[in-house]
Amino acid sequence: MSVVFALATPPAKSAICVFRVSGSGCLKKLGDLFDKEGFRFGRFYVNDLFYKKNVVDRVGLIVFKGPNSYTGEDSFEVYAHGGLGVMSSIVRAFKDVGFDEAPGGEFTKRAFLNNKISLNEAEAVSDLIDSTDERGVALSSKSLFGELSKKVVSFSGEIDSIRVRVEGDIDFSDEDNEYIDESLVKDLKNLCNRFDSFVAGCVNKKFGYEKNKILLIGPVNSGKSSVFNRLLGFERALVSNTPGTTRDLISSELFYEASSFSVFDSAGIRDTKDRIEEAGIAASLSQINDADLVLMVFEDYDPAAFDRFKGLCGDKPFINIQNKIDVNKPNNSFDCCVSAKSGAGFDVLKSLIISAFDVGAKKDDFNFIIRDRHEALFKKVVLDLSKSLMGLSGGDSIELVAEDLKNARSHLDEMVGKKFSDSLLGDIFNDFCIGK
Amino acid sequence: MDKYDVIVVGGGHAGAEAAHAVFRMGFSCALVTFNQKTIGQMSCNPAIGGLGKSHIVREIEALGGLMPQATDLSGIQYRTLNTRKGDAVQALRVQCDRELYKKAVQKIIKETNIRVFEEEVVDLVIKNNRVNGVLTKNQTIKAKKTILTTGTFLNGKMYTGESVTKGGRVGDGSAIPLSKRLYDLDLPMGRLKTGTPARIKLSSIDITKLEVQPGEKPTPWMSLYNRPKKHQKQIPCYITRTNEKTHNIIKKNTHLSAMYSGNIVGIGPRYCPSIEDKVNKFEDKKSHQIFIEPEGISKDLVYPNGISTSLPHKAQKDFIHSIKGLERSVIEEYGYAVEYDFVDPRSLKSSLETKFLKNFYLAGQINGTTGYEEAAAQGLMAGINACRAIQKKQSLILERSEAYIGVLINDLTNHGITEPYRMFTSRAEHRLLLSQNNAEQRLLKKAFGLGLVEEKRYKQYIEKEQQYQDFVNKELKTKKLKSFINKENQKINLPESKSVFSLLYRTDANKTKLFTTNKQNDGFYKRTITETKYEGYIQKQLREITKTKKQNRKKIPKNTNYSKINGLSNEVKEKLNTNQPDTIGSAANIEGVTPAAINLILIQLKKNKMQKQNA
Repeated sequence: MSVVFALATPPAKSAICVFRVSGSGCLKKLGDLFDKEGFRFGRFYVNDLFYKKNVVDRVGLIVFKGPNSYTGEDSFEVYAHGGLGVMSSIVRAFKDVGFDEAPGGEFTKRAFLNNKISLNEAEAVSDLIDSTDERGVALSSKSLFGELSKKVVSFSGEIDSIRVRVEGDIDFSDEDNEYIDESLVKDLKNLCNRFDSFVAGCVNKKFGYEKNKILLIGPVNSGKSSVFNRLLGFERALVSNTPGTTRDLISSELFYEASSFSVFDSAGIRDTKDRIEEAGIAASLSQINDADLVLMVFEDYDPAAFDRFKGLCGDKPFINIQNKIDVNKPNNSFDCCVSAKSGAGFDVLKSLIISAFDVGAKKDDFNFIIRDRHEALFKKVVLDLSKSLMGLSGGDSIELVAEDLKNARSHLDEMVGKKFSDSLLGDIFNDFCIGK
Repeated sequence: MDKYDVIVVGGGHAGAEAAHAVFRMGFSCALVTFNQKTIGQMSCNPAIGGLGKSHIVREIEALGGLMPQATDLSGIQYRTLNTRKGDAVQALRVQCDRELYKKAVQKIIKETNIRVFEEEVVDLVIKNNRVNGVLTKNQTIKAKKTILTTGTFLNGKMYTGESVTKGGRVGDGSAIPLSKRLYDLDLPMGRLKTGTPARIKLSSIDITKLEVQPGEKPTPWMSLYNRPKKHQKQIPCYITRTNEKTHNIIKKNTHLSAMYSGNIVGIGPRYCPSIEDKVNKFEDKKSHQIFIEPEGISKDLVYPNGISTSLPHKAQKDFIHSIKGLERSVIEEYGYAVEYDFVDPRSLKSSLETKFLKNFYLAGQINGTTGYEEAAAQGLMAGINACRAIQKKQSLILERSEAYIGVLINDLTNHGITEPYRMFTSRAEHRLLLSQNNAEQRLLKKAFGLGLVEEKRYKQYIEKEQQYQDFVNKELKTKKLKSFINKENQKINLPESKSVFSLLYRTDANKTKLFTTNKQNDGFYKRTITETKYEGYIQKQLREITKTKKQNRKKIPKNTNYSKINGLSNEVKEKLNTNQPDTIGSAANIEGVTPAAINLILIQLKKNKMQKQNA
């Protein structure tokens, strides 16, 4: 099998990061990467890692000989410094020597293929990796094997029963049965609408697999990065009192109580002639659309500025924060007043964040957690169903309507099992008296 | 030395087609039948074609078969079904003169070097698990390959009311010694049933009371090639209906019906229920249609399609006399149910050779199918593949995306059957690719390569295709329009002129008004309309086909033990262990085998391969 690599630690700035590489032939490339050969198995080495003859970082290295490795193949692990620049250079160095980026679950799959773990373990591993909080784990098993699949089975049944009438009209048109009438169009329309809202419900609530995104915005130099660092509990964003220091969106994960969030820091928003910063501002505006909660950070109360930022948020939920209360007087027009410098007011802020999500998305009335794969399939179903409805009401050739319905149904095969034509025919024979 | 290359046992639609295919491929053939006068006999209703079936007939034609020829030599009424729907689901149905059809088949067989034996086959000559010929009551006939097409003659029993007669068809015997031999081989076998209605004298029916269904005008042809000079005399069919009185008589007598007596264990086709079933199962339906099909031009007999029954004679007579127009009708022959044995088609390879005996092929109703077309298609394929095997060449296996015949054989050999198997267009997942009008485009080149059709015909086809391409390129793509008429009959002006061809892709355009056709190019233009209409869907299907083809072709080693694969459900394990699919594609086609199960099998195969490499 080809050589694949993946970052084993989260793609965020941290003290160290770990890369894992696996596949037969990977050890032959160690010479190119480290300008040195003869590494022994199971020993820890500290060496310079090169990309196109330039040193990227001084890293730690452990080499495993298959089958005594996680995947069962020859493999090695690299421990590097956790800077984003270092990470991307290492990715480039690996690709340069012909390694491929591993698709999700690839290492686990190889481990399974090589008898290192059982299938159940493999599935469990990938579920654990995909889920980001305790409740997510519980919900994911519930939704995938319980309610969600029941729901999908019932939608599949509805598609099947419409197909019964459409296929009946094609194959048994010379029998004296009425297959297609106004009620069929109505039933299909109804099904389309309900499936649409089912899918919308699946996508909106993303507790388990996709973290809630929190975005910090505010006027330039209002102290967003300081609030960001204080929220996370350590220095991550570059902080200075020169306005406009934060130029890229910086993100990190915040674990609080049993939930996890992705927190994004953005460049301050102001009129600027600095073209680099313009790009940063544009980026933060588009981030607002992606965010689930916006934290607006101000230094003092300015109704005009406040309205301007509120306008940017559109209908996103937001928390209105006054920072720097160590120097300015707290103003009760804000939702909460904090000092990033002293840490005052952060307990209130954190509970506001938690309650914002609890109110906005109560765990109890979540609809369904789905994997990306399922989301993609459902979206195809929506498309095919709406095509079939258009065709049916627009008087298109019925065989094309049948084709759209068949396609819609086949996307659900993976979740509910294939509908074989023989069983569809059986349904036709049960519903209609066929046979001259 | 073998006396014949191939022996075909049975002279029905499968047998005739098998023998003729052997002849076309240049091999010697012996056709052994009970009664040579019944070669090509239509034992059910006298019609060829219909949904899914005309598709098969046109495929048989593209492979050089005789069924379409015989149809046109005997066709007395032609109708295209689904004319308001698209090309892929339109189908031609032809009422045939029963006598003329049989005679046509016999004439076509006579024109060949096929040697016909009128004898009963009582046993197979088997040595080392190979079939080397057959034993008749009088002699041993040897051959390299043997094809069995014995239809419903295996342990056939006919039921009317309480009376039971041995035999597969009125007037013919039942091949009991042969079926005993097959039972002794311990093959997986099952029992099916089917029924027929009474036959009624046309002269005794008051046709003035019936709805007349005339044939289509102008009368089309089933064959594209080798047509007779002109059609037979065209005659109409008639339609009448059952009524409440009819239903009451049937309900009162249902307990006397053989099918309700508990004597019949075979499973009947749900798409062809007896009138007893229809009346009892669909109680709120107050009337059922009856299609009165003439048996022939000069024959005073009709086949009342829709009232097959196994009621006692008196009850049959009573309920028939309660029907409008049939009040004084004379019944020539009463309806009956037939019960017969079939061999589980999952014990066949895709070539139709059996897995249990070498050089031995089964085709037709013996494999659990019903219908002349389905039988003929299997006979044809068995004949071809027997010859291919003699030539030591690869079998002709048609893909599901290539032909309805491919769907048929793939379904049979992978899924087996639960009721008599009949083709429907909904069985073909690539239905849009498989029109009755494009069979030549799909199959003729292959047929020519195998020696099934003459060069002259192939050249004609190539020429016609060239003409079509020229028509598209030189007419449709060249002629530009500044406006077009839409479906609401409004004139739409275009900002810049567009070719007729590109306007065909507009869903709002009235396509018949884009281009004025003449006699020569009318068919071509219709073809372009269809091809452009389906193009998007077909591209999508083709992408799927290439995507799955590679994976589907992956071979699964023989005797794979699926019980050892973790994660498969017990049901799936059992199905896979019994079926032993030879490829991933076949495995995926087994009911209950999910994509996830296929992934597990793939992983297992990969694992075995890797372990072998490491060893």
